[in-house]
Amino acid sequence: MEGVMLFEQPFARVPYENYRKIFRTSQKNVERELGGVQNTTNELLSRASKGNVSPEDAVKSIDNMIGKIENLKRKLSDLHETSGKPTQDVMRERMHHLATIESLQSTTQPEFSRWADSRLDRWLVDWCLRTGKENAAKRIATEKGIEVENDVTLVDIELFSDIRRIEDGLARHSCTEALAWCNENKTALRKIKARSQSHLLRFFVLCRQSTLEFDLRMQEYIELSRARKTLEAISYSKKYLISWHDTHLSQIRQLSALLAFPPNTACGPYKRLYDLSRWHTLAKAFRLEIYNLNTLSTEPLLHLALYAGLVALKLPACFDHSTKNVDCPVCDGESGSSLQPLGLGKLAGEVPYSHHANSTIVCRISGKIMHEDNMPMAFPNGHVYSREALEEMAAKNGGTVTCPRTGDSCQFSELRKVFIS
Amino acid sequence: MDSLLKELTKLEKLTAVNGKGASIAQSLDSLLQSLKEARAAFLDGECSEEDLKQLAQLVEAKKKEVDDRQKEVYSVLSRLGKALDKKFTTALPTYSDLFSSTASVTALERTIALHFLRTGQFEVAETFLQESEINISEDLRNQFVDLHQILKFLRNSDIGPALKWAKNHQEFLRARSSPLEFYLHRSQYMRLLLSSHPPDPIGAVRYAKDNLGPFYKDHEAEFQRLMTCPAFLPLHKLQNSIYKDLALPTLHFDLEPLFAKEYCASLGMSRQVPLRVVGDIGGGGALARIEKGRKVIGDRKSEWNHMEELPIEIPLSSDNRYHSIFACLVSKEQSTEANPPMMMTCGHVISKDSFQKLNKSGGRSKCPYCPVETMLNAAQRLYL
Repeated sequence: MEGVMLFEQPFARVPYENYRKIFRTSQKNVERELGGVQNTTNELLSRASKGNVSPEDAVKSIDNMIGKIENLKRKLSDLHETSGKPTQDVMRERMHHLATIESLQSTTQPEFSRWADSRLDRWLVDWCLRTGKENAAKRIATEKGIEVENDVTLVDIELFSDIRRIEDGLARHSCTEALAWCNENKTALRKIKARSQSHLLRFFVLCRQSTLEFDLRMQEYIELSRARKTLEAISYSKKYLISWHDTHLSQIRQLSALLAFPPNTACGPYKRLYDLSRWHTLAKAFRLEIYNLNTLSTEPLLHLALYAGLVALKLPACFDHSTKNVDCPVCDGESGSSLQPLGLGKLAGEVPYSHHANSTIVCRISGKIMHEDNMPMAFPNGHVYSREALEEMAAKNGGTVTCPRTGDSCQFSELRKVFIS
Repeated sequence: MDSLLKELTKLEKLTAVNGKGASIAQSLDSLLQSLKEARAAFLDGECSEEDLKQLAQLVEAKKKEVDDRQKEVYSVLSRLGKALDKKFTTALPTYSDLFSSTASVTALERTIALHFLRTGQFEVAETFLQESEINISEDLRNQFVDLHQILKFLRNSDIGPALKWAKNHQEFLRARSSPLEFYLHRSQYMRLLLSSHPPDPIGAVRYAKDNLGPFYKDHEAEFQRLMTCPAFLPLHKLQNSIYKDLALPTLHFDLEPLFAKEYCASLGMSRQVPLRVVGDIGGGGALARIEKGRKVIGDRKSEWNHMEELPIEIPLSSDNRYHSIFACLVSKEQSTEANPPMMMTCGHVISKDSFQKLNKSGGRSKCPYCPVETMLNAAQRLYL
């Protein structure tokens, strides 16, 4: 079960992170409104101590305070009704879903099979969402009852429509949406940076070296330079870039120099800055950042599961026509006799072969694994089958057995016992 | 999971609108109330510095109440976070650019589309195909539509279409020595037998004569049981006899998976849904084991991804063994075409390389397991 739970981390954590975000919003509201009320009373008090408060002034201030508190009350209850409570429900739903599986003793129970069915559906939804197949994702979710009108939410469709919206912006060469997102998640992003430096995701930070927000600002600046709006670019730099000069000084200098180069420059570093593929890189960086922030895995879960599953199954025999088995997923029966596998066999090309320290002999007739009570028997030509299968064949054919691979026949008594330890 | 649920319950209680104890809304309400009273008093012209001071204190007190409440929520939240950390100790690994080449994406999309078709989710498949760039031939799609139609008939106790298909594929089924056709008739026979009240086996027996007869040779024992069981009617008696398995509903329900298996085999497809099989292995512990191995052996990412063979073994259930594996106990190596398993005269098997290394003068090798010696040319290559 430990292995099963490894995959369920994002499933359990996404709504939790979501709720934390909601809590932060409520905290911001409390601070703003109640802080405001407090300021007003203090101000009123200090004016009163100087003796210049009329009852009308006081009533006016109190009206203002009442307005603020009523506003706060409404905001908090709206927040709870529209986001807080539903998110708690999602958390509960998901924890229950995981608890069901934890209570099972073995993976052979029919409950497990049903659970695994819905897990595969969740993986497929996740995969479709990540690859921009939103309609298919919604379709699976509604048909399988893993998301019914946001009632039962075992998949994160909303989060991905958010991602989509921002990425569409980047595709239109607009940083506005992404910058707004950075701003909304400022504190969380700062924390992530600290956390990832401490462990696991260190490599991820190292290879990026910069932060998403700076990259976005940089791109907006480059676009100004591309449009040859030199003055605007300079004031943009003053406003948004200079504040990064502690950490990104060399980049800021390079960007300043960029203004001296036209967009069609042949000069290496500046040509690269003007390169439009930077937008694509930005979109990728944004994805990693938002996955990271929501504790989603950087890889689709389906990829991870398939990787591990294929590694466990892949054998050289899967790629040799004479040893293919139609039931083996890696053998990719659909491709038939063609040499190029079309589906899982093709994907298996990317993973290493499985490792086996012990022999396992599978009967090519019955598909059963041979062992002491069902010994392997060899035809004189060296082809091996299980005793049970050969006995059955001999019984039907008056003692004669025929090798299905070569067509050679012999008497059952001519078969030899094989000892494989 | 229990500790998580417990913390969640606390959080729910703490944030509930009508919960017990002082809620933020209550604090705010009482603050509002006091403000309104103060306002009324001020309207009456009473506005001393003392009043204002009291008001300021009240605001401060209420703000503190709200802050305390928020702090409580915050601390429950962070406890929930800690419980999550405790529950999920290892993070999911990253395999950058896994399955991201165009060819791999196509292969995966194809696999997924076929998965939807095979599991009968035709509308999902339709939407999926619209959003991806792959093409599944009309012919193949119709095959799956047919499959699910036939399955639907089976579910409604109509073996007609399934039987028709089986007749059309008799050669194929016989080569696989599949019991499909016989089982279809068996199901029909039992249904006829059990549907008559009072028991009248004549119709059923006639059906058996016409339809089960041809299978007598291959299913002799079962045929005899089927013909004997009418003697134990009615149903409640049958259910307590040695023939009670024939009265079970599984006799009919099991036809569906059996039919799907044969149908898919005729299309060159596996008996289980491949995506489920691979996903269940990967998600059922294989990834966890790989990650553990990676930690133990030491990880240099690129090496781990580009190695020929995984350095650790991942256990597989016998259901998921599709190929024979011969690992020579002498050399500890898996057999290959160049280094195949060789059976010595005593019946013990080792790899060809090991066999040749054991060769002593006179062209003989002594078996590592027993005293028998085998001449070099007397060893038999095995095909597993």
